[in-house]
Amino acid sequence: MDLTVQLIVNTLQIGAVYVLFSLGLTLIFGVMKIVNFAHGEFFTAAALAMSVVVPWFAKALGLSAIPVFALSFCVSVLVVLALGLVVYKFGFERYLRDLIGSFIVSIGFVLLLEGLYLEIFGGAPRIIPPLIPGVANILGAAITWQRLLICFLALAITFGLYFLVARTKLGLALRAVAEDQEAAMLQGIKYRRVALYGFLIGCGLAGAAGAFMAPLAAITTFMGADFLIKAFIIIIIGGLGSIPGAILGGFIIAAIESFGSYYFDSSTATIALFVLVIVGLLVRPQGIMGHAER
Amino acid sequence: MPRDRRIYIASALLLCVGVAAALIVRDDYTVKLMLWIATSALLAACLRFVLLIGELNIATAAFYGIGAYTAGVITTIFNGPLVLAMLAAAVVAGLVAAVFGFITLRVKGPYFLLISFAFTEVVRLKYTQSNIIGGNSGMIGIFPPVAIEPYYPAIMIAIIGLVLIGLYAIERSPLGMLFKAIKSNDQIVLSVGISVLVVKVICVVIASAALGLGGALYAHSNNVISPGDFGFLLSVFVLAYVKIGGEEHMVGALLGAAFLTLLGQYLMGVGAHERIFFGGAIIIAMLVMPQGLTGLALQLGRRLGWATPAASLGQHK
Amino acid sequence: MIKTAGKLVAISAIAGLAMMSAAQAEVLKLGLSGPKSGAAAAWGIGFEWAAKQAAEKINKEGGIKANGKTYTLEIVSYDNQYNATEGAKVAQTLLNRDEVKFVVGSIGTAPVKALQSLSERKGVLIFTTAWGPSAKGPNFPLTFTQINTPAEVLDQLYGYVVKQNPNAKTVAMLNPNDATGQDTEKVAQESWKKLNVKVLASDWYERGTTEFQPIATKLATIKPDIIDLSTTPPNDAGAILKELKVLGWKGVQVVSAGTSSSSLIKVAGDAVEGTYMGLAADFDGPAATPIQRELNKGANAANGDPLNVITIGSWDAVMALKAAIEKCNCTDPKKVAEALPTIVFESSYGPAAFGAKDVYGTPQQLLVPTIVTQIKGGKVVEVQRVVPPELDARLKAAKK
Repeated sequence: MDLTVQLIVNTLQIGAVYVLFSLGLTLIFGVMKIVNFAHGEFFTAAALAMSVVVPWFAKALGLSAIPVFALSFCVSVLVVLALGLVVYKFGFERYLRDLIGSFIVSIGFVLLLEGLYLEIFGGAPRIIPPLIPGVANILGAAITWQRLLICFLALAITFGLYFLVARTKLGLALRAVAEDQEAAMLQGIKYRRVALYGFLIGCGLAGAAGAFMAPLAAITTFMGADFLIKAFIIIIIGGLGSIPGAILGGFIIAAIESFGSYYFDSSTATIALFVLVIVGLLVRPQGIMGHAER
Repeated sequence: MPRDRRIYIASALLLCVGVAAALIVRDDYTVKLMLWIATSALLAACLRFVLLIGELNIATAAFYGIGAYTAGVITTIFNGPLVLAMLAAAVVAGLVAAVFGFITLRVKGPYFLLISFAFTEVVRLKYTQSNIIGGNSGMIGIFPPVAIEPYYPAIMIAIIGLVLIGLYAIERSPLGMLFKAIKSNDQIVLSVGISVLVVKVICVVIASAALGLGGALYAHSNNVISPGDFGFLLSVFVLAYVKIGGEEHMVGALLGAAFLTLLGQYLMGVGAHERIFFGGAIIIAMLVMPQGLTGLALQLGRRLGWATPAASLGQHK
Repeated sequence: MIKTAGKLVAISAIAGLAMMSAAQAEVLKLGLSGPKSGAAAAWGIGFEWAAKQAAEKINKEGGIKANGKTYTLEIVSYDNQYNATEGAKVAQTLLNRDEVKFVVGSIGTAPVKALQSLSERKGVLIFTTAWGPSAKGPNFPLTFTQINTPAEVLDQLYGYVVKQNPNAKTVAMLNPNDATGQDTEKVAQESWKKLNVKVLASDWYERGTTEFQPIATKLATIKPDIIDLSTTPPNDAGAILKELKVLGWKGVQVVSAGTSSSSLIKVAGDAVEGTYMGLAADFDGPAATPIQRELNKGANAANGDPLNVITIGSWDAVMALKAAIEKCNCTDPKKVAEALPTIVFESSYGPAAFGAKDVYGTPQQLLVPTIVTQIKGGKVVEVQRVVPPELDARLKAAKK
């Protein structure tokens, strides 16, 4: 086992899912100017949905692992989108661009959804079979094949989003709204519609991250909480609302976790993350890739 | 001004009733319930105080904890007197807030929200790694002196009541006006030659010193404190008190604190569905009364025709 | 008079409480304080379930007889959210609102300490699963420990591991950075040293972590003969074992205080093979008592989660309490506390008692067999069972 390579491989495999999750959070912030504390609940919802749907499809359709996963992935993300629509309609819609109001609403949803998950799924961990078995060896570092695959899929989705934002009409509207909502509305962009799309894309990204984590981790009703806190750190470091910032931030945090856990210990690495945020904000309040906001 | 005087008289009366109740009522649970509401109200008022300059201070929980731990260390490790513990708690929390504020208040909005969140988590994790203050197990045996123990709830309510009145007085003073001016447009404040940063730091220091004192009071009434008590979730709940009570007026913070504390206690008996109800209550409250309980009262007041005195509650934006 | 006035205030404040606080003469309320939300929710839920089963069984068999009265049991359980603030609220609610005289179970060091600071002063008897030495001893005459703790188990477990693996000379330990981890780590270090096993590293991580490759990488590169995941909760321990396997580490795996073998097996898959555990009694297999098997099955059906050493503790506490109340023929907590160390009662493990005065200074630790288990072929197998000599002596004395 080559240590440095192993630590880099660890960074990449953790980072890929962090990036996906944080992208959603940063996108929602950019478009709606809200800090969504309920983002982790969408992640959890997708993982829980996978834990139900994967065994069901495997049994009912008798397909092999890959198509079952592909199908389940789609279903889980759809479930999350439906949930996102409900949360938007019964909550955030009235608190667009209201940092404090939306914050409280999102807390309400965290409590409600967490309680409901526990009620429905119970406290015991759930597990789904691996997507593909086996361990790959890259330059002396070990990584499971399914991690590798999921890493690539996550990166593919990241590039897809990048393309969507950079090249499509919707992407242009999203960027315009994030930049200056009033000017965008003057240009004839329907803000509410764009905000809804932005929110749903963000939820979908959280859902995709959750569905990817499902075969990798023990699925519990509270697994989103850890990701949420990490994602906050990531988007602060990368710059609130910045998509390249979230990508860069995701890998930076993964690197600190990976190298810090090795050279110190995991608990110290966690503190280091928070200290880094504070120091980083002082040096460059707008984050690495963020624009200075007046 | 007469309206202000009326409010001061009313709150002084309320304070006397609270203190008297704490002295007369012999049922421990009822007394504790009053103390929980009082500490929640203080937390809510302090969080709202920083909202005056337009910042959401998640570190509310951190400064409350700093006060509680400072007081705990003084009374249990150094056997210091309670008064010293309370003063030191306020001073230490205020000093830490001064440094914290001076560095962090250069940013605002979501950035300040998230930096105060990170600060709160760092402080909490530091407690867990410090053996002298009990690590994760926390500190135990933080009692007020035996001689005053029977009167402690009354003392606590009296101090918290006075602090709340003090905070209100500051809010209504020229300094308070300055806070609100910064919230609506800090460029104007800057243009008349006042350092916005200094004013903001003063605001956070005042709130934090009050929180430190509150933390000291809390530590001595709870007898046990642990790092888990001062995580960012505490601030989140406190924000819910403020928001559901209505943030326009300080009374809202008190109402929200009382309402959600009582609701929490009631739901405790409901059983395993507690969180679902609590979360649902927050969402519904935010949907049906976006201006909080005070806003609702205002609307009702208008409809019933005695609008003038009630409506003026919300006059100072 | 004034007290009733106070009550009235409370009642008008919280509608509906009136019915709850008007206790019927012959109902004995038993309190529970455990986490029912957040990461440790499964513990609190299983705990409450087991206590309710015990109460139901006793009620069905005619209740508890003392003072010439027959008491039926009612379990009152609240969520302490695993912190001191909520723990104190639960304590106030149980002791001052519901006026409970016995708490048959409490989980979590910080909330238990908050409960203790009130219960000892109010003269309420409590049972607890908190295993830090700071919560036990002569300062807490009304506090009883309702499960085996690492102090009872570690020497047995580590001794067995070393005997089976005589070539293992080094160990790396990992604990979550919480009260349980901090309390246990000290005892574990001592235990390994006594056996001449060198502790190469003792690391900490924050609870709630989801990604474990960094931790596993660190543990594997230290190259210890033994990895002791100590108090790492089963879900996390399972994930770490899985990553260790990917990294190609091979050695002796110990999860000394992992309480739920089923979760561990579920999460770790075949990476769990050969792992030794000290607090994961098998409530499913042939070594379990019939009552344990039945309870385990019921919990699995009701909560989707089998019982473990901690959650079954509430059943044992209720049974112990019944025996002690009937022995002293009273419901005064102080007298019941005096009776508890003198009785032998029927626990879920079979006959059990309270003792261990020589270790803690007071005879208030539950005495049940310590059980070392190992995971073989995806199943928990009991490999060693030691009946504490003190319990053995007590059982013999009771027979005479």
